[in-house]
Amino acid sequence: MRGTLNEQSLIYQQIAAMLEDDILRGVYREEEQVPSTNELSRAYNINPATAGKGLNLLVGEGILYKRRGLGMFVAPGAAEKVKEKRRAAFAARYVAPMVREGTSLGLSGAELLELVQKALEEGEQP
Amino acid sequence: MNECTLRAAGLNKSYGTNHVLRDLDVVLEPGKIYGLIGRNGAGKTTLLGCLTGQNTFQSGEVTCGGEKVWENRRALERICFSRELPETVMGSRNSQKIGHYLNAAMVFFPNWDQKYAEALLKEFNLDPKKKIYALSRGQRSMVTILIALASKAPVTILDEPVSGLDVVMRERFYQLLLEEFSRSERTFVVSTHIIEEAAAVFEEVLFLDRGQIIEHAPVDELVDQFRYVSGLAEEVDRACTGLTVLSTQDMGRRRTAAVRGGEKALAELSSYDVDVAPLNLQNVFVALCGQEHPQA
Repeated sequence: MRGTLNEQSLIYQQIAAMLEDDILRGVYREEEQVPSTNELSRAYNINPATAGKGLNLLVGEGILYKRRGLGMFVAPGAAEKVKEKRRAAFAARYVAPMVREGTSLGLSGAELLELVQKALEEGEQP
Repeated sequence: MNECTLRAAGLNKSYGTNHVLRDLDVVLEPGKIYGLIGRNGAGKTTLLGCLTGQNTFQSGEVTCGGEKVWENRRALERICFSRELPETVMGSRNSQKIGHYLNAAMVFFPNWDQKYAEALLKEFNLDPKKKIYALSRGQRSMVTILIALASKAPVTILDEPVSGLDVVMRERFYQLLLEEFSRSERTFVVSTHIIEEAAAVFEEVLFLDRGQIIEHAPVDELVDQFRYVSGLAEEVDRACTGLTVLSTQDMGRRRTAAVRGGEKALAELSSYDVDVAPLNLQNVFVALCGQEHPQA
């Protein structure tokens, strides 16, 4: 997990996002335990209720699940669920701001698409 | 645990003509860390004194677990209000030793944890034989923190505990507080002027302004109701219709507004050509309570 919290979004959302990042990176694999409320509280100097809220957000989305008396674990298929969720938010989060910025700079739709195409080609090179 | 709910109802307190607390109502539930924030003279210390049976008040009621707190030993034993140690007593320097305060605390608090107290003495590098007047401001803060933590009182109140501490000790204090909270689930009420570094430690925050609690909410729920909206003045005004505008600041044609609104109303900001940024807890406090001294 990242070492620091920022002020750009609510802390429990940052905790959830950090855990998602780590699930995607394979830091926590399916059926492995993730840090507890108290561990997160200690690591980031945050109220345990806030840490718990972050964990429960992911439980609600089926990315983590609770084992009674043991703690929180990564659900089977969690990484795919995180990707699905982020794909669904991708247009609003990345594409819409890009189009808005491009339009305000006077770029045409064709020019924007061309830029995306170029970035894709550059990304393919080793 | 419900027996430790601390409740004030209709509290009024004046010093002469100075009406410090006005019909104040508050309920502090067990097992949470509360942050109490207010400007100088807002009535924080007076309120904490009233809640803990150390101050009288003209009308209203303070109860802990349903029992009146005032002169009620049974209720008072459950409450620790660790105040800053006075440098002077009756006009002369306070030559009591640290050990004297610890012994008094040991007698008073039925759950006093001597081992914990000794570990904290060592960690803070405090010599119990040292006299209070010879301590630095930070060291006096450490003594009050030590007494508060080691009291093991179900309801523990700290008034400006970090005021004299350097940044390293402040962080350490919040760590110790969270550790003890995780272990014990005691209720803590912490007042502070250094808001941002404490914001993540609080579960709920109370804003005290002119003798009344004007906000009492979980920190993130409160903070999430606010945004800064900036851009061309007219566009900002259009975007902010339907929101409560708390303050505006102009720079040429550019306007920045601090606004408050519900989730739905705030989401609509994205359809205007404005920049939208979050506020932190300190920004929210200034927006709500800093009106007599606008930042402009």
